[in-house]
Amino acid sequence: MPLTVLIALVVLGIAGVALLIHTTGLSQPCRFTTEAEARAAWTREFPLTDVTGVTLCRSGRAALIATPNGPGVVWPMGADSTARKLTNARVTPRDGGLTLHLSDYAAPTVRLYLDPDETALWAERIGTT
Amino acid sequence: MSDQITFPDVVQLAVPFFIAAILAELLWIRVSGKGGRYETRDAITSLLMGAGNVTAGIALGFIAWGFFMYLWGLTPLDLGTAWWVILLCFVLDDLRYYWVHRFGHRIRWVWASHVNHHSSQHYNLTTALRQTWTYTFTFMMVVRAPLILLGFHPALVLFCGGLNLIYQFWIHTETIGRMPKWVEAVMNTPSHHRVHHGRNARYLDANYAGVFIVWDKMFGTFVPELDKEKPDYGLVHNLGTFNPIRVAFHEWVGIWHDVTQPGLSLRDRLMYCVAPPGWSHDGSRETSDQIKTRHLAAHPEQRGTPGF
Ligand SMILES: [Zn+2]
Ligand SMILES: [Zn+2]
Repeated sequence: MPLTVLIALVVLGIAGVALLIHTTGLSQPCRFTTEAEARAAWTREFPLTDVTGVTLCRSGRAALIATPNGPGVVWPMGADSTARKLTNARVTPRDGGLTLHLSDYAAPTVRLYLDPDETALWAERIGTT
Repeated sequence: MSDQITFPDVVQLAVPFFIAAILAELLWIRVSGKGGRYETRDAITSLLMGAGNVTAGIALGFIAWGFFMYLWGLTPLDLGTAWWVILLCFVLDDLRYYWVHRFGHRIRWVWASHVNHHSSQHYNLTTALRQTWTYTFTFMMVVRAPLILLGFHPALVLFCGGLNLIYQFWIHTETIGRMPKWVEAVMNTPSHHRVHHGRNARYLDANYAGVFIVWDKMFGTFVPELDKEKPDYGLVHNLGTFNPIRVAFHEWVGIWHDVTQPGLSLRDRLMYCVAPPGWSHDGSRETSDQIKTRHLAAHPEQRGTPGF
């Protein structure tokens, strides 16, 4: 197959599939509706860590997890979720919340969508890591 | 003479079929409301990983090819291209695939490349195309050396490898439950491969087969899909990025960080490269064996059941 044909096929194929998936409404990110959901998503990643508290933000787009070894965060990844412990985390303010900077190549930043009153609380809790 | 033989690049030729099958699966899921899940960013990442894999093959393929042609120059054997030679080559190359894939899960240096394929939390036809960009750097082309030295022409071996990859495309789906009994007994199927993509303790390090599941049964790595335990797809530690470059290189970066940390012995540094994924010098992480042991400690009644 000529390279130009292959490239055209791949580009159009990816764009077409992406457009079709998006237009059928499958871009909706996962939301945690309850603390129990957020806790379950955390435990799926860290089954050995004791959870001493769960702070779900109002947008449902992240939860702060309290553990005996410091806080962690669980957040949606597309239709699913992932989680990280907040060791060496840095937090910077952003319009509509905070940005978490993790020292993790596979999870470099997490956007937190928080109300103003939540922002202060989360910044304080994370700021100590 | 047979230095001149050429086989079509079947993987490139299969691209239109891949796209058509993905569209068909997507429509089937939308119409029937069952048989799997799609999510936009996950699918785009998988497809870009596939495109990058083909690109890497075009850019770096000459390294493996040069190695194979060097071996071809050494061997006095030439089996030619009779139909039975092609068939035999396909079966033996599938055995080669089994071992490369097993190394891919048990040796971190090889896992750094193969982890890409397991980095989606979805399991659909786009997941099949989520392929590594860094296979050349695993040096796993050496596992094919015996085939070339036995007299299978490098072009024939790559042709069979391409067919193998195409076969594995269709099994990345939840739209198919179980195939007829004899198919499940001999061939790798959606059911067997769903197990391979599971991060459940039970399903870790199982079903390495490419085309024929018999290799897993022969070498003791077969685990059947249990109706009462649905595979939970993804990595033991799932990624927090859809960026294809990070997906492609994250485990290599992880190796680098581990190997270069201060205060380690030379042996520790080496182990971070070649020990099973999850090995750590201070025991702060878990390998799949340790995950299984811990699971059994919590669920002793499952001892002796498939995967444990
Ligand atoms: Zn695998
Ligand atoms: Zn697979």
